[in-house]
Amino acid sequence: MTTQLPLCDVAVIGAGPAGLTAACELAEGGRDVVVLDEQAAPGGQIYKGVEKVFADRPQDIRFLGGEYAGGERLMHRFRQSGAKYRPGVSVWQITSDQEPELGLGLIENGSAQMLYPKHVILATGAMERPTPFEGWTLPGVMTVGAAQSLLKSSRLLPEDDVVLAGTGPLLYLYAAQLASFGIRPQAILDTRPSMSLRAVLLGVSALAACPKSMLKGMKWLWSVRVKMNMVRGVHSLKAQGEDHLRSVSYEVRGYRHKLSTSLLLVHDGVVPNTWLSMSAGIRHHFDSAQSCWVPDIHGAGSTSRKCISIIGDGARIGGASVAAMQGERVACEVDTYLRTQHCSTVATQSRALRRQRRLRRFLDCAFSPTADFQLPADETIVCRCEEVTAREIRQVAARGCMGPNQGKAFTRCGMGPCMGRKCALTVSQVMANAHGVPVDQIGHYRIRSPIRPITVGQFADMALVPGQDKKAS
Amino acid sequence: MFRPRTNLTDPVNFSFEGRRLTASRGDTIAAALLGSGVFIFRESAVSGIPRGPFCMIGNCYECFVQVGAMGVVQACLTEITEGMQISKVSNSIDESEMGIKEISKR
Repeated sequence: MTTQLPLCDVAVIGAGPAGLTAACELAEGGRDVVVLDEQAAPGGQIYKGVEKVFADRPQDIRFLGGEYAGGERLMHRFRQSGAKYRPGVSVWQITSDQEPELGLGLIENGSAQMLYPKHVILATGAMERPTPFEGWTLPGVMTVGAAQSLLKSSRLLPEDDVVLAGTGPLLYLYAAQLASFGIRPQAILDTRPSMSLRAVLLGVSALAACPKSMLKGMKWLWSVRVKMNMVRGVHSLKAQGEDHLRSVSYEVRGYRHKLSTSLLLVHDGVVPNTWLSMSAGIRHHFDSAQSCWVPDIHGAGSTSRKCISIIGDGARIGGASVAAMQGERVACEVDTYLRTQHCSTVATQSRALRRQRRLRRFLDCAFSPTADFQLPADETIVCRCEEVTAREIRQVAARGCMGPNQGKAFTRCGMGPCMGRKCALTVSQVMANAHGVPVDQIGHYRIRSPIRPITVGQFADMALVPGQDKKAS
Repeated sequence: MFRPRTNLTDPVNFSFEGRRLTASRGDTIAAALLGSGVFIFRESAVSGIPRGPFCMIGNCYECFVQVGAMGVVQACLTEITEGMQISKVSNSIDESEMGIKEISKR
């Protein structure tokens, strides 16, 4: 039987600004490109549902903001580009560099299959930084990103009793969006410390580099401060309730306050989603400026595996404009690789990219992660899946456990269905703190495929080549 | 929680724990349930405490629900369809979730 492997030149994983721009550039240049997306429609998180909003409820566009509306042009270009779009596809495996073929394990419409591209571009974007605090597992506690996603894709708006807590540009953007829909949250519990001199100086530099973005951000912040009940200097956040959230309490200057609410939205910035890149055996390091793990990148997106590039927020948090610029730059690198099988990294950085770097340095400094969430109190659940508390992590560290992988054996921390996505960063930081060493030295969970749940049945039924039904053979 | 939506343009009927509910076409199961005032989706596998959606981008696995023949799915990544019968996931172990039953049937 002759076997025809499902091949393509380039598989792009993720359909946000980075992935779509790279796909457009390569497909327009005549490459056979497949875009794999877990979501039902292109846009990633930032442009989530943008085509649907334009088609079904254009009146909402102006409330969601100009940057969101700009996504529609990219969607239009992508639809014309000739790149194949496969929505609703989860990638559960990238074959290791020990395997003869570069292959991707996919789940589409409930069945598992393989795809064999010559090159893979990971554009898996960001996820929200874990925000562990007492009561954060209660139904009714969600992330700000989750609520914004519900607003974009389904026009779900919170009741007025909603409380927002934490820090980060997204929190203020969402609050400003709520204001434009006529919703005033009960309170915004701001955990950001007052701005340091360094942040102010970086702010001046960022204002000179990217005046438009800075002024836009200041406008959000200003509108939130003026129109809403914003409480500064909040710490020791707690969510309370029996079966679901009933109230939120917090401390300001030594006094504890309490608010009744059924919805608490938390945010503490975003970090790269590195689960695929780590499972592919690509080298990573801890980025101290952004307090998160990032893949080692050289050039526009080259990694320690020459057949895999990483761009966008999954490479390092840079925002949508940087992601799109990286998408453009990586296309040249990938095209050269496909022609010559050698890496030639794009070294030059455009002025626009250097300007964005100055903006990012300010944002990283001004919205640094909340201390309470980085090193949570003892009784706080760190691993939501296995319900392991910070106390248990500290106890095993005190007994000599040197890293998160050994910690799994003692506590099962990080071994639930989320595979550590919501606790890895916290566990590494808590252990590093307990041992008094840098996070880099403590390390990260070892991430192995399958990185998305796949049933034994799906695995057993997987057709290795299309048209070949394993059951019939 | 979230405001109930009125005047759904393209309604889809479904049920949760036997309750008949309505959502908008194109909603994910999670959006459909949250929009209908449901926010307890399952019991945790360890202690049985109630859980609901948290991240909405497929990473936290808090929004698992049981959907008729499909089995256990992530509600934030699965689109709602007409007539879908959804129920909570309890913390008792169900072999069908693992795909073991399908194999042993062969």
